[in-house]
Amino acid sequence: MMANGTLTMGHIIAQTKGNLVSNMDNDKVLMSINSGKYYNLGGIGGKIWELIETPVSVEEIVAALTVEYEVGTAECSSQVLAFLHNLLQEQLIEANVGAGIHSK
Amino acid sequence: MAYLLHVRKGVGTMIPSIETTNYEAFGMRIASQLALPELQRVYIDDAYADIEIQYGDLTRVWAEAAIARNSYNLIDGGIIFTIPDTAIFSVEEGKRITVSPMENGDSSRIRLFLLGTCMGILLMQRGVLPLHGSAVIIEGKAYAFVGDSGAGKSTLASAFLGKGYPLVSDDVIAVSLDPDGIPIVTPSYPQQKLWQESIDQLGLAANQYQPLYGRVNKYAIPVASAFHTQPVPLGGVFELCKVEGEETKLCEIERLGRFPLLVRHTYRNALISLLQLEQWHFATSAAVISKIGVYQLQRPSAGFTVQRMAAQILELTRKGVS
Repeated sequence: MMANGTLTMGHIIAQTKGNLVSNMDNDKVLMSINSGKYYNLGGIGGKIWELIETPVSVEEIVAALTVEYEVGTAECSSQVLAFLHNLLQEQLIEANVGAGIHSK
Repeated sequence: MAYLLHVRKGVGTMIPSIETTNYEAFGMRIASQLALPELQRVYIDDAYADIEIQYGDLTRVWAEAAIARNSYNLIDGGIIFTIPDTAIFSVEEGKRITVSPMENGDSSRIRLFLLGTCMGILLMQRGVLPLHGSAVIIEGKAYAFVGDSGAGKSTLASAFLGKGYPLVSDDVIAVSLDPDGIPIVTPSYPQQKLWQESIDQLGLAANQYQPLYGRVNKYAIPVASAFHTQPVPLGGVFELCKVEGEETKLCEIERLGRFPLLVRHTYRNALISLLQLEQWHFATSAAVISKIGVYQLQRPSAGFTVQRMAAQILELTRKGVS
């Protein structure tokens, strides 16, 4: 698990269990069964949610998004990290330090 | 004769009759061993029935299933539950309801649970979202009125009925998604429940109507003539709630707020998790929510404001519900 709340490109991101998920128009909506809270992840947020269906690193998420959307790696990285930080605070995801990858 | 005896034994020895009658409700053809005077009769071959309602002895199944002393328990393919002094019911695979009456179980009380709880469970098993409330048709679309008991759902529906707008349901509103993802309401059956006060206000004479079993001052009013029988798209949901003050107020519910609203007003919502249908309910809600308008209609707890509410709803539907 994360040591001090700082998410880095090397972290492996995984969805937590116990969320209901659905598409609503072009958005991805979620409900946490544990907290009873509802979330709208939006369109790109929904894409990220799909990317982490099996655990992947932040770096891999950013790489996938920069292929699909017209966005630079630096800009994409900071936005993805901020988005994942929110999901982490809401306990919708888990972040683990990947094996063999040293966090920066 | 030997064959007949064999059949009777097979269904249980306490069975008064194994004759079936065919009915229609919620767009389904029902072959029932229990007489159901509330429903519309249809004359079809039993083989074409969508669901069957049968007598059967569930005492042993109940004893085996009721391990946790819950009133509702899972069995293979469905749910079994007991209503004290009435009957044991099982609802399986969205197509079969079995009733095991208790000694002195009142038949109209048995039908209350059969057409209520059992039908609600069966609809969910069939992937149909049952909302608790009344629905009327305005300009070719169904509008659902939901709310707590006593919020004024039936009364509001009656006001629309009085203005010539047909009723599609007065207790369980069956919402399903068509192949294009459009939410559709399938009419239930022509019966309306009304409280004494509302009957008086609407100028109907209470002594003409049959009181519903065990519900003093609540009457069943057959409304076959003003009852719509074809499926229609769902246009909107209005949640009625009583508030302090003198104004009636209509406000739109934002997208995410619509999810808990639909959970609150899903018929027998406590059974969603037992049926392991949370994900289905969430996905169905998302599909419904994005296609209709969802509003809260606040009304003063004192006074009779039904005509004012009806006028506000009509004004909104004319402007186009978003």
